[in-house]
Amino acid sequence: MTRDQTSLPDGFEALEPFVATWAIDGSAARARARDQGSPEELRAFFIAAKDYLEDALERLDHKPLDGLDEQERRLLDLILSLAHVSLAVEVQGDDEPRHRLCRQHMRITRTPADSPI
Amino acid sequence: MTASAFQPVPDASVAWLGTEPIPAAPYYDPAYFELEREAVFRRSWLQIGHICEIPEPGSFIRREIEVARASILITRGKDGAVRAFHNVCTHRGTQLVEEAQGQRATFSCLYHRWTFGTDGQLLAAPDFERFALDKADCSLPAVAVAICAGFIFVNLDPSPELSLGDSLGPLADELVTMPSATATTFSEYVYDIDANWKLTYDNFQENYHLRFIHPRSGAATIGAENPFGYPARYGFHGPHRTQRIWSNPKPKIHPFQGRSFGKSMGIAAVDGLTDSPTTRDYIALFPNFFVLGSPSQPFSHTVWPIGAGRSRGVIRLYWTGEDDSASRRYAREFSMAVARDVHAEDRAVIEAGQRGLASGALRHIHFQSQEVLCRHLFHAVNDKVEAYRAGIEGRESPAPRLGGAL
Repeated sequence: MTRDQTSLPDGFEALEPFVATWAIDGSAARARARDQGSPEELRAFFIAAKDYLEDALERLDHKPLDGLDEQERRLLDLILSLAHVSLAVEVQGDDEPRHRLCRQHMRITRTPADSPI
Repeated sequence: MTASAFQPVPDASVAWLGTEPIPAAPYYDPAYFELEREAVFRRSWLQIGHICEIPEPGSFIRREIEVARASILITRGKDGAVRAFHNVCTHRGTQLVEEAQGQRATFSCLYHRWTFGTDGQLLAAPDFERFALDKADCSLPAVAVAICAGFIFVNLDPSPELSLGDSLGPLADELVTMPSATATTFSEYVYDIDANWKLTYDNFQENYHLRFIHPRSGAATIGAENPFGYPARYGFHGPHRTQRIWSNPKPKIHPFQGRSFGKSMGIAAVDGLTDSPTTRDYIALFPNFFVLGSPSQPFSHTVWPIGAGRSRGVIRLYWTGEDDSASRRYAREFSMAVARDVHAEDRAVIEAGQRGLASGALRHIHFQSQEVLCRHLFHAVNDKVEAYRAGIEGRESPAPRLGGAL
């Protein structure tokens, strides 16, 4: 793969190792990735990404969503996954393995993020 | 504790609803469920969709109301009017539309190509001269439909006892002040549950369980001065009911959670949603729908009965405007994930309740004063069931009977 196919915008290089697992399109797919993440994977992503939330959104907010390039789109998908993963690490903690069994019954059927933009 | 510390709604103010035990059978008895099917679900205004789902002439949605064994087609006509019909071809009853939603100028039956307009009129039918019929008498069977604050309601009673407006009374004006009234899109998640619809619905109209079932996800809803997170106010209008959620002055919120909620509230403020008089209000519309006015989590919840011990919950977070920025998209994704995490925690304990009740071990269950909305729902349902049963018996027709537990 070329750098353009894998990388994030400048300034977010530290999140590069998480792109393959967490830059996911679609709300239900992001929720599913949280379900499938090991406690170590969830925690590593949260610790690495949590302080980038505001910087990432500020960077992306300069453009309309349909104007984002590939790198920016990847960063957005990463941050949207962080919304789910943060709940696993920060709120559920060691209850996350049990909680994921409860969540599997709540089927996400539609979100604005799943609509074409 | 200061003088302004939270005080729960006094028991005396809800004593008019009684304090007696509630019979258990209506929460599992198939015979009672059959009565509810007729007395409640075929005779009440049912929230079935939102106007944002049919934005243009030709837009339609199809909704299955399993408890009424009905498939309903809701259309927006060329004239802009919203209409509802039974989804049945008037030739021989074939279900007309298979898609859940879409855009069409006409609806053609697959079987013999009878074709109907969005106003339900039969427009064309092959070799129609061989029927001794007038096309004007072959329109799709109309269903009463009404809209309030963006929500679409249908009533399967051909002559509803009350109009939607008369049923809602002052609640209609309150609904208009909620974010859902101006929504143009929504997030949705759905769950199936092995539990009676009332038992399921009741879980979401009492806070007694919060600290036990949601110790992590619900930590912000309870506090030292209100350890159960009881509401600040209850209200009642006919079979409908409301509560005002307590505003916790010192909510326990994790750092990243706080930053994310901050994004949501910032966007809600820009959208003018934080000044509404109903931002802390919960409006429950009989029989199976409620909606919150929360600016950051404006969700509705409909519990659809499937059988005496099986239901389906549909939860929607209503949003105004498409995602126009990364921050807005993030705020919506986070809000949905938070709400879903909380709701996920309720399902298992509700099912455990159903298994206990269905064993027949209990003749009665109990509601304390802060579970008064559950008591009110039981009475609202039971009043309609008893009136229906009395009407049947008055006509000397056999009616389903309960198994003696009442």
